Amino acid sequence: MSCHNVSPSSIEETENEIAELERRLSVARAKLRPKTENQKTHSEHSQPPTQSAHHYLLLLSDSALPLGSFAFSSGLESYLAHTPRNHASFSAFLPESLSSYASTTLPFVLAAHRDPAAVADLDDALDAAIICTVGRRASVAQGRALVSVWERSFAGSLPEEAVETLRPYVALLRSTVVASSLSPHTPTSTSTSSSCSSSRSDAKDLPPPVSAHLGPVFGAVCRLVGLTLHQTAYVFMLSHVKALVSAAVRASVFGPYQAQKVLGGADVQRMIVTLIEREWSTPVEEAGQTMPMMDLWIGRHELLYSRIFNS
Amino acid sequence: MQSPFPKSNSASGEGRIVAKLLPNGLPGLETVTYKYPLKLISPSPTAEQKSALVFLLSYGGGLVGGDSIQLAVEVSQNARLSVVTQGHTKILKSPSPDVITRQNLSVRVADDAGLCLLPDPVQPFAGSVYEQTQVFTVTASASLCLLDWVTQGRSALGEDWSFVRWKGRNEVWLTGGEAAPAEDRLLLRDTVVLDEGSRDLTGKGLHASMHGHGLFGTLILRGKQMTRLGEFFLSEFSSLPRLGARDFRSAEVREKEDSNKSAEEQWRLSRLHAEKQHGILWSAASIRGCVVVKFGAKTVEGGRLWIGDMLSREGSISELYGDQAMMCVR
Repeated sequence: MSCHNVSPSSIEETENEIAELERRLSVARAKLRPKTENQKTHSEHSQPPTQSAHHYLLLLSDSALPLGSFAFSSGLESYLAHTPRNHASFSAFLPESLSSYASTTLPFVLAAHRDPAAVADLDDALDAAIICTVGRRASVAQGRALVSVWERSFAGSLPEEAVETLRPYVALLRSTVVASSLSPHTPTSTSTSSSCSSSRSDAKDLPPPVSAHLGPVFGAVCRLVGLTLHQTAYVFMLSHVKALVSAAVRASVFGPYQAQKVLGGADVQRMIVTLIEREWSTPVEEAGQTMPMMDLWIGRHELLYSRIFNS
Repeated sequence: MQSPFPKSNSASGEGRIVAKLLPNGLPGLETVTYKYPLKLISPSPTAEQKSALVFLLSYGGGLVGGDSIQLAVEVSQNARLSVVTQGHTKILKSPSPDVITRQNLSVRVADDAGLCLLPDPVQPFAGSVYEQTQVFTVTASASLCLLDWVTQGRSALGEDWSFVRWKGRNEVWLTGGEAAPAEDRLLLRDTVVLDEGSRDLTGKGLHASMHGHGLFGTLILRGKQMTRLGEFFLSEFSSLPRLGARDFRSAEVREKEDSNKSAEEQWRLSRLHAEKQHGILWSAASIRGCVVVKFGAKTVEGGRLWIGDMLSREGSISELYGDQAMMCVR
């Protein structure tokens, strides 16, 4: 056998190889150490037991979760109005809408799950990045609803540490909402009429510190009820598909069986997985719009003569 | 022979512009430096100029794959600066997708100063890979008008969003200035990523997801000099005709009513007609103290005509920065 007559040079080679492998092993160990320590400190957030995580996974993915998602079509209604009837198709709209939603919002969901205590900063950064009145309205309406669900419904049955993590954020949000609706010296900033902008250039007119956009709130809540990062991303994207499909049914694009066919189809699963992979390590600063037409359609939803959705 | 261009003494692709108010009260330039492949030209100032003017150019009129440009601009207190280009900024093909052509612009605008950046659109050729980051740091009383637009490429050669990747990011940060160097606050971060890789997802090329548009642009307005212009865009947007509304008037009645309209309404009617003809789709939104206008057009020229018409109809830019600031949108 050849292994018995090893030449001296190859012994040296093997020794070198062993030394190199040992070096790499120690480097890899060093990398792992801070990560496991991190995980330990995070699990001191006292994650609920897996059984309870499973329970919340089902609750958060339920379309009966009272976020009012049914009121928004995420540009579908506007797309249908802008596209000639024979060219418009849901199967063309769906991948574009998913790509756009994932590239603009998913990095914020992932970041909030990775560090739920940073939710206020993430919320503010996302508020600066949604360049569309209608889109902002949809995101904030659902985000605020989720904060209410958290506060009124979930918080009571969760460990104190989990509730504590979001407490400063919720308090900041409440004070912002109260200040903007009661503040007597800035009546123009809350007025809903479109001709109220005369004093907007006021130098001290800073944006509110938090707005409660859905993405970061969702990421943080999922983390605190024990969902994994991947589950969170999957539920977030699937909920978007469900909202779109449900809007399509109500806009008479297709019927309920076709809707289930889309939801159950391999295409939707493949798209969600691909998109989660694409955005998995996108830093929030790099998040951006991959489908610029989506911004135009959603922005122009306000121009529809008749509409059944809020976005 | 003495070179007519300012002396160049910075690192490769780096440039710097400092605009300030001259002792005679005119807007002028304190510093203009640049290095290949970047080139800056400033025509000699005239007594009537409302803003200092700088042409942002590249040698040979385009950026070769892998070129990197870093331009720093400073507009000092009370000064006004217009930055324009001469023709489209062409982005040439990259030898491979990991060779990225970059332009980075970092701008600081001081109290009561203003910058007007209305360049020609970026024209990425087939196979190009481009990333552009523009960061604007402004004080509360500073003003900013910036246009960032990109075309489908050389349509005469059949290019239709045929590049590998185009990424443009614009950020507006509010700073307390030197008096109050508190932490800067992000007001706006607008990023557009057009990536050929989306084919895997949609099963169609980039051009399909642009839905027949040959140009896509973003206009960002901020600050007291731009308040009127911003409100103009917002009010024109909200007075666009409703989609799906029907006009039940007969042709004669319509003609009669249209001819009785004021000059403003006449202008609006002809603009709406042009919007239809050039396939202009636009929206305007007020976001955290900035007004952001997004628009798409079937053709580059159609889009240029539209934005030029809107800006010159309202008139703030010509009034505050002079006609020279508008030369790329006419």
